[in-house]
Amino acid sequence: MTGIAALSVAVSAVATLVAAAFAIPGALWIVHGRSRLRTALLVLFTAGLGLPPVAVGLAVAFTFWRSGPLGSWDLLYTPAAMAIAQTIIIFPLIGTLGVIALRTSDTTLSMQLAGLGVPRSRRFLLLAREVAPGLAAALLAGFGRALAEVGAAQMTGGNIEGQTRVLTTATMLSVGKAEFGGAFSFVAVLLGIMAVAAGIAMALQRRWA
Amino acid sequence: MGVTARELVARRGTFVLDVPTFEAGRAALLGPNGAGKTTLLLALHGLIPATGAVDRPARSASVFARPSVLRGSVLWNVATICEAVLDRGFGDARRRARAALGDVGLDTMIDTDARMLSTGQRQRLAIARALVVEPQALFLDEPFANVDADARPALRALIASYVERTNCDVVLATSFLADAVALCRAAVILRDGRVTHIGAIAALGTANDPYVRALLAEAAAVPLDRGGSSC
Repeated sequence: MTGIAALSVAVSAVATLVAAAFAIPGALWIVHGRSRLRTALLVLFTAGLGLPPVAVGLAVAFTFWRSGPLGSWDLLYTPAAMAIAQTIIIFPLIGTLGVIALRTSDTTLSMQLAGLGVPRSRRFLLLAREVAPGLAAALLAGFGRALAEVGAAQMTGGNIEGQTRVLTTATMLSVGKAEFGGAFSFVAVLLGIMAVAAGIAMALQRRWA
Repeated sequence: MGVTARELVARRGTFVLDVPTFEAGRAALLGPNGAGKTTLLLALHGLIPATGAVDRPARSASVFARPSVLRGSVLWNVATICEAVLDRGFGDARRRARAALGDVGLDTMIDTDARMLSTGQRQRLAIARALVVEPQALFLDEPFANVDADARPALRALIASYVERTNCDVVLATSFLADAVALCRAAVILRDGRVTHIGAIAALGTANDPYVRALLAEAAAVPLDRGGSSC
């Protein structure tokens, strides 16, 4: 159980960090950039909200299939493949919520801080502090979606015991075998992890408020 | 010292500000809406892209008509600016911030979330955080626009006394003659992005500009009684 829960958290956390590393700069660019291509990324973010995880799972599984385009990488049925699929699934979610978080911040605040003579590095920190709660919520939503996802995890991980079994795929298997006790305990741990993550996010938001 | 500019050109959308020369210690920028008062103010302060040469004191501070505030208490808002700009310890910054907030009449609200303030209260906060950094030049854009009428004279006097005491430069964009008279010596009239008149405020009556005539006429007589009807 501990290994399964740890893998769930690890895959989701890695996916959240990697997705955020691309989505948050993308959101910044959408809100503050000047290029017309910004709209294209915003469309990608928004449309991607409804991206079915099974479609992503299928695409990633196909790509890493032994006879597929990147079959030689030997990634199928590894945690890495699962993390790649989860990253693609939550990238639009973090991006969209990131855009909303960044847009609500006051557009002239930066100029007003500059007008008071606040040095550039401090301005950046103060602005980051303003948007931090919204971005924390975006990361939490992404982490939650990755943690709860089952279809792509099954297709790209294969639910191999001790290697790629996570809480959601373990629950599926237990129910399939009519082992409801096990299924309930997997779900209980899943809910517990989400509660802890939400608690951390809320504590941070309160601290910044 | 003063604020000076040469060949200053700034563009905002289709609007073009073109000021060949500007030189003033305490200047009020006057003119109708859309004349370029705020654009000139921001360009002189170096807050928007502009071409040309601008010279201003190293430490300057601004007050905007719609001040932005940071999340956090009123006291924290002012103290953190003081700390960041003057590079003081936070304890000293808090002490200075408390005094500055007392000066603008916000001493009873220092623990309030700054985002809960009314626009007029935000302007008081903005004045406090501008004075707390001890600027050598103040760039003011309608700094009293939403402040209660009965508090405006005190805030004007507060800034005026700071300006007198420190010999601070002032560039003020305003629609109110009283602000200009209290804080400035020179009047710069703008129209369509160009300076049409520079002169002493005291001699504003000689400016041949319809906006200035209207401004003076309004200041001379505010009819409280429109006649005829009774309550």
